[in-house]
Amino acid sequence: MKREWILDKNHLSYWLRQLRNQMQLIAPMRDQVGDIVFKQVEHIHKIELNCPSLLPSVKEFFLPQYERLFEYSKKDDRVVDSISKTKRVIFGLRSCDVAALNTLDRFFIDEMPDPYYKSRRENSLLISIVCNNPDPTCFCIGLDTGPYLKQGFDIQLTDLGDRYFVQAESEWAISIIKNYHFLFSRPQKSDYDDQYEVLLSSKARFQKRISLQQSRQLIKSGRIKDSFWQGITSRCFECGGCVYQCPLCTCFTVVDRSYNDTVERARLWDSCLFKGFTRLAGGILPNEERIKRTKRWFFHKLIHYPDVLESFGCVGCGRCTVTCPGRIDMASVCMKLKSIALNGEEITDEG
Amino acid sequence: MDKILTVCPYCGCGCGLYLHVEDDRIVGVSPCINHPVNRGSLCVKGWNCYEFVHHPDRLKFPMIRKRGTLVRATWDEALDLIARRLTEIKRLYGSDSIGLLSSAKCTNEENYLMMKFARAVVGTNNIDHCARLCHSSTVGGLAAAFGSGAMTNSINEIINARVLFVIGSNTTEQHPMIAMHMLDAVDSGATLIVADPRKTQLAEFAHIHLQHRPGSDVALLMGLMNIIVTEGLVDIDFVKRRTENFDSFLDTLRTFDPAKVEAITGVKIQLLRRVARIYAMEKRSMLFYAMGITQHITGVDNVRALANLVMLTGHIGLPMSGINPLRGQNNVQGACDMGALPNVFSGYQTVTDPRARKKFQNTWRKKLNPKPGLTLMEMMDMAYVGRLKALYVMGENPLLSDPDLGHLEKAMERIDFVVVQDIFPNETMNYADVVLPAASFAEKDGTYTNTERRVQLLQRAISPPGEAKADWEIIVDLATRMGYRMHYRGTYEIMEEIALLTPSYGGILHHRLKEGFGLQWPCPTQDHPGTPYLHRKKFAKGLGTFITVDYIPPDEPPDKEYPFLLTTGRIYFHYHTGTMCRRTVVLEREEPECFVEINPEDADSLGIKNGWPVKVTSRRGSIEVKAKLTGKIPQGTVFIPFHYAEAAVNRLTNPAVDPKAKIPEYKVCAVRIEPLYKMPVVKTPKPPEVELESLRIEE
Amino acid sequence: MKVKNREPAKQENNIYRPIKGTIERIKKQTSDVSLFTLELEEPVHYKAGQFFMVSVWGAGEVPISVTSLARKSTRIEFCIRRVGMVTGRIHQLKEGDNLWIRGPYGRAFPLELAKGRDVVIVAGGIGIAPLRPLIETFMKRKKYKVSLLYGSRSPDDIVYLDETRKWKQQGVNVVLTVDRPTDGWKGNVGLVTTLWHLAEVDFKKSVAFICGPEVMIRAAMQDLFFFGMPEERIITTLEAHMKCGVGKCGHCYAGKLYICKDGPVFSYKEIKEQSILNLGF
Ligand SMILES: Cc1cc2nc3c(=O)[nH]c(=O)nc-3n(C[C@H](O)[C@H](O)[C@H](O)COP(=O)(O)OP(=O)(O)OC[C@H]3O[C@@H](n4cnc5c(N)ncnc54)[C@H](O)[C@@H]3O)c2cc1C
Ligand code: SF4
Ligand code: SF4
Ligand code: SF4
Ligand code: FES
Repeated sequence: MKREWILDKNHLSYWLRQLRNQMQLIAPMRDQVGDIVFKQVEHIHKIELNCPSLLPSVKEFFLPQYERLFEYSKKDDRVVDSISKTKRVIFGLRSCDVAALNTLDRFFIDEMPDPYYKSRRENSLLISIVCNNPDPTCFCIGLDTGPYLKQGFDIQLTDLGDRYFVQAESEWAISIIKNYHFLFSRPQKSDYDDQYEVLLSSKARFQKRISLQQSRQLIKSGRIKDSFWQGITSRCFECGGCVYQCPLCTCFTVVDRSYNDTVERARLWDSCLFKGFTRLAGGILPNEERIKRTKRWFFHKLIHYPDVLESFGCVGCGRCTVTCPGRIDMASVCMKLKSIALNGEEITDEG
Repeated sequence: MDKILTVCPYCGCGCGLYLHVEDDRIVGVSPCINHPVNRGSLCVKGWNCYEFVHHPDRLKFPMIRKRGTLVRATWDEALDLIARRLTEIKRLYGSDSIGLLSSAKCTNEENYLMMKFARAVVGTNNIDHCARLCHSSTVGGLAAAFGSGAMTNSINEIINARVLFVIGSNTTEQHPMIAMHMLDAVDSGATLIVADPRKTQLAEFAHIHLQHRPGSDVALLMGLMNIIVTEGLVDIDFVKRRTENFDSFLDTLRTFDPAKVEAITGVKIQLLRRVARIYAMEKRSMLFYAMGITQHITGVDNVRALANLVMLTGHIGLPMSGINPLRGQNNVQGACDMGALPNVFSGYQTVTDPRARKKFQNTWRKKLNPKPGLTLMEMMDMAYVGRLKALYVMGENPLLSDPDLGHLEKAMERIDFVVVQDIFPNETMNYADVVLPAASFAEKDGTYTNTERRVQLLQRAISPPGEAKADWEIIVDLATRMGYRMHYRGTYEIMEEIALLTPSYGGILHHRLKEGFGLQWPCPTQDHPGTPYLHRKKFAKGLGTFITVDYIPPDEPPDKEYPFLLTTGRIYFHYHTGTMCRRTVVLEREEPECFVEINPEDADSLGIKNGWPVKVTSRRGSIEVKAKLTGKIPQGTVFIPFHYAEAAVNRLTNPAVDPKAKIPEYKVCAVRIEPLYKMPVVKTPKPPEVELESLRIEE
Repeated sequence: MKVKNREPAKQENNIYRPIKGTIERIKKQTSDVSLFTLELEEPVHYKAGQFFMVSVWGAGEVPISVTSLARKSTRIEFCIRRVGMVTGRIHQLKEGDNLWIRGPYGRAFPLELAKGRDVVIVAGGIGIAPLRPLIETFMKRKKYKVSLLYGSRSPDDIVYLDETRKWKQQGVNVVLTVDRPTDGWKGNVGLVTTLWHLAEVDFKKSVAFICGPEVMIRAAMQDLFFFGMPEERIITTLEAHMKCGVGKCGHCYAGKLYICKDGPVFSYKEIKEQSILNLGF
C-alpha cells in the first residue's frame, strides 16, 4: 500500500504539534554553536528544517549507547527487564538512516529477535526527508540508500519549496496521515513534475561516486595485499568513532553494575577496532595487530554483510568520513581501492 | 532525551562533546561537529567518558574515620570537624603547617576558590597541584623567557603550518585530537619532525625522526641552535629588536659543536643539520613539546632551550609560528592560571609583589601571607619530618602519581589530619581522616581552560549521586564554617570575581562563553575577542630573554647494577592515575595490566619472552609487571606506564627534582630487569615457544 | 552458510533473560577447576557441544559448555576453570547459592558422523569439559571404539581423573599426557600431538573431536588431515570472547560466522572454507 499527498509547509508545525501531543517527538535542532542534534522536542518552532544532509545518526534511539537490560533486585532475588515501550515519532531523519534501519531489522529481528531493539523499533514512527542538497561526504547515491527511497520508509517527505510531497508506506503511517486528512491534499501532475526535478537536481549535486561493489570484487580477487591495509591502519587512533557513528555497526558489550540493593545489567556500544574486543581469558589477544581489526571492519561491511544480509554494511552516509581522526573511512578507502582498479596494479598505499 | 554541550573531562585538548541525558542518567556521548579542536571526532576516552559517572564505586556520602575505619557521616559533622581541626592546627602550629592540594581536574572556579581558601581562610601559600608533576618547568621556563607560560598558538592553526617540530610528546596517544590536526597538516604538505627516543605512532609519519638518548634534550637543542647560528639562519632582526642577553647566550652555544652533540645524543650530524635548516628556514614553524621535555631534572633548562630556539629563529608571535607546550590534564592550564601554585595568585601575579597582594587583600578583605608557600614535594618532605600537620587534597591522588612512593607513604602517615575530596575512592584515602564526595564533570557548572588557553563552559547535565556536591560548594560551605563568609549564587559569580582580579581573564564571563566555543586568554576586557596567538608585537614581559643553559647528564644514569634507563608515562587508553578510565569497561579491557616495554634485543639477552612476568628494580624499590616486547623502544631503555596501583611505577622513580621548578625526574631513572618466570623442567626436549604457549593458554 | 542442526533456544520474549539455577553440588577437580551441578527452575534441552551463558549478578556472564549428558532436564553440570573476574566469582559460590543461566546456544557435536566409525577424542586442559558427554554417549551406546588423547599441564591438573579410570574400564583407550611431570608420574610427557601412535585407530576411517587451547587444536587438525582423515570429519569446538551467545554482540564474529550461533562446533573443512580469520587458521 503506497499513498501520496501534498502537505502545505504552513501546516507542518500544526501536524507535528498534534503528533507531539500523542507521543514523544524527536527532531533535529540547532544548538547555540551551530551543531545539529536530534533530541526530544519541547517547542515545535525550534525544529531545524534547514539541516545539512549529514545529520547525527538515529541509531542511538534504537540501540542506545548505554542501555539497561535487566535490573536484578538482591533483596527479592527477582529480575526485571526494562524494555522501552515509549511511542515516538522521529522527524527529519535522512533516507540513509531509514535504509540502515531496514538492514538492522533483518539483523536484530529476523532471527532470535532482540526484544529491546524490536520494541523500540515497533514503537517508533519515522518521518524522513529527502536530501535536496547532499553534503560533500555523502555517497548514498551509489548504493540506492538515498537521497530518495523507493520503499522501506514510514513517511517520506520531499521538500518542494512551499510544500512537501508526502509518501507513506506502513499502516501506522497511513493511519496517522488519515487522522489529519484535512491537512493533506491530493498531488497534482505538477507536484509529480516538481518532485522529479528536485530528485534530479539532488542527484546531480553528489560529489562522491563510490562503488562498493567494485571494492568488494577487488578484495575478493585477492589483489589487495596486506601492505595496503597496513598503510591504511597505521593512522588509526583506535578511537572507535567509526563504529560508534556508523548506523550499521551494532557491536555491544555487557556489563554488570552492582549497587547497594540492585544489580544493573546493561549493554553499551563496543567496537571491533579495540584489541580488547576479542580478548580471551589469560590475556590472549587474537587481534593484537591493528591491521587485523581494520581489515575486520572493512571486510565485515564489504564482504560479509552482503553475503549474510544481502546488502552492504554501509549506506553511504559519510559519517565515518567526518568522525575519523585518522582519515580512514569507507569513502576514502574505496577511492584508494578504485585507484588500484584503475591502475591495474597492486599498489601499496603510501600512507 | 536531552543533549548537553560540555567539555571532555580527560585531556588538555578540551574537546567539545554532547552528553545525552535521559531520566537524569547519561546514556551516550557524541562529538561536537563545529568545535575548533575536535571537529566531529573524539578519541576513545572522550567517546567513553560517560561511563564512570554512574559507576557504583562513586563516593556518595561524607565519611569520617572513627577507630581506624571510615564511617558515613553527615555533611554537617564532616565539615564541622574539618573546620574545627583546621582552626585548631592553625592556632597551635601556624597557618603554614597546613598544606592544600588543588586539582587540574577541577574547574577554574574551584581552583580559584581553593586558592582563595588557602590564602584568605587558612592563611598559607602552601597550595599546589599536580601540574608540579608535569608542566611546572613550562611555567617556570617560559615565564622567565617570555613572561607567560602557555601554548602560544591555537590548535586550529596547525593545519596551515609548514613545519611541525614535535619533541618529547607522544601526541597521537596523549593529545589525539591535536595529532589529528598535525597529520592533516602533513597531508597538506607540512614537514613533520619528531624527536623522541621511542618510535611513537606519530614518528611513523615523521619526515625526520630523531631518536636521541633520553635526557639529552638540552644537548640536542643546543646543537640545533649551534648549527642555526653557524649557518647564518638566525633571524637577526628579531633577535635585535625583541630579545635581550643574546651575546652571553652565544658564548655557551659555541661550546655545543655538532660533533659533541652527536656524541651526547646519538643523533647523526647530517640529521641535525637537516632539521636545523628545515626548522629555521620555514616561517610557519610550530614547535610542540610535552612531558618528555619537562619531566627531567633539567626540565626548566629543556624548556629554556626551546624558548631560545624559537627566539633565535624568530618563530614566535605569529600565527602558525610559536612554541606550544601540550598540557596533560583537562584543566591543568586553568589550575595554573587560577594560582593553585605556591608563589602566585591567579593570572601569575606573584604573592611577593606588594601591589598584587594589596589588590587581593582589598577584594578578599583579609591580610595575606607574603611568603611563597611549599610545593607538593616540599610539603611531603615537611610532612616526613612531622612539620606538616594537616593536608587537604581536592581531586588528586598523590599516592599514585608522585615519585618515590615509599617515602610518601611514610610522610602521609605522619600528617595529623588529612581531608580527601574526590569522586572515587583512591589510594590517598587510606590516610584520610575525612572524605568528602564530590560531583563529577557532568554534575556541575564551571569552566575548563584547555591547552590552547581556551576557556570553555562546562554545563551541568545530571545531578550528583547521593549527597555528593560540587567542589566549589564544599569549599564555600567550609570557608563559611571557618568564619570567612563566601557567598556565590553560582559559578558565574565566581567567574566575575576571577575576572575582576585577573587581567588575562578580565573579559571572560560565563554568558560570553555560552555564545561560542569559549574564549582564549588573554582577554582583558568585555569586548575583547580573545587571543588566538601570543606575543604578537611584544612579549608579555617586554623583551624576550635568552637564558643560558648547559647540558647536565641525568641524575641517575644507568650503570652495571642498574643497566636500563626507565622512562615512564601515560598510555592512550588510560589517563593519569586511572580513577576514571579504569572504571570504564572498554578502556580497562584494552590494557588491564601494567607492562614494561622493552626492546626485543634486550629481552633476548635477558631471556625474556613477550608476556612474561618480570621484576623491575631500582634503587628505591621494585615492582612486578608483564614484559611487552616492542621495537618502538630503543635498546637500553624501558618504558612503564604509571596508571596502575597494583604495580605503581612510582615506587621506582627518582625523586630528584629540578632545582628551579621542583619537578621530579619521572622520565629517567636506572633500573634492573629480571625475568620472574623460570623455564619449566621437562624431560623431553621441545621447542620452548610451544611449551610456553600451552602453559599460557590453558583452556 | 546454512546451518542445519541448530536448535533455536526456546526462550519466551527476552533472549537475554537468564533462568535461575541452584548449585546442588560442587566437586573440586583440580586446584582451579570445579564441577558445578545445578538444579534449574525449569527444564532445558541441551546436547553435547552446546553451551550456556552462565552468570552471577554483579559479576557478569560467561559462556560455559555443557558437560553433562545430553537430555531435557532441570539438572545440568558445568565444569568451570577459574581464570578471571567472573569465573573467579563463580568459584567463590557455595552449595545452595544461585547461578543464572540462559541457553543452550550453538550447534551440538554431529554425532551422526561417528556412526560406524572409530572415534578419536583429543582434549587439552579444560577442553575435556564439552567432550565428556560425548564420551559418555559413545560408551552408553556401546558399539563405538573410542580413543581419548588428553593432555594437561601437570598431573595435578588433570580434570575428571577418576572418570578417565572409569572410561578405561568401560573400554576407552585413554592416553594421558602432561607437560610438566611431577615426581611419581609414570605416564606420558609432552604434547598430545606427539602421541598419535597411541591412538590405535585407522585415521582415514575414523572421526575426530578436538577441544583445547587454540594452538593444540590447530596442530591436531593439521596432523589428522595429514594422516588422511577427511576434513569434514575433523570436528572441533572453538573459543571466542562472547557477550551474548545469540549472534548479536559481534564479539565472536569470525569470517562471516558467529562462533556462538554458527558454532562453536566446526569441522576443519568449514574452518578452512570460511577462513575464520580471527583464529589464524
Ligand atoms: C563456547 C565456549 C565454551 C566454554 N566452555 C567453558 C567451560 O566449559 N569451562 C570453562 O572453564 N571455560 C569455558 N569457556 C571459557 C570461559 O568462557 C572463559 O574462561 C571465561 O569467559 C573467562 O571469564 P572471566 O570473567 O572469568 O575472565 P576474565 O579474563 O576476567 O574475562 C573478562 C571478560 O572477557 C571475556 N572473556 C575472557 N575470556 C574469554 C573466553 N575464553 N571466552 C569468552 N569470553 C571470554 C569474558 O566475557 C569476560 O567478561 C568457554 C568459552 C566458550 C567461548
Ligand atoms: S561505513 Fe561510514 S559511510 Fe558507510 S554507513 Fe557506516 S558511517 Fe556511513
Ligand atoms: S574512526 Fe578512524 S581512527 Fe577511529 S577507530 Fe575508526 S578508523 Fe580508527
Ligand atoms: S582528545 Fe582529549 S579532550 Fe579530546 S576526547 Fe580525547 S581525551 Fe577528551
Ligand atoms: S557471542 Fe555475541 S555475537 Fe557471538
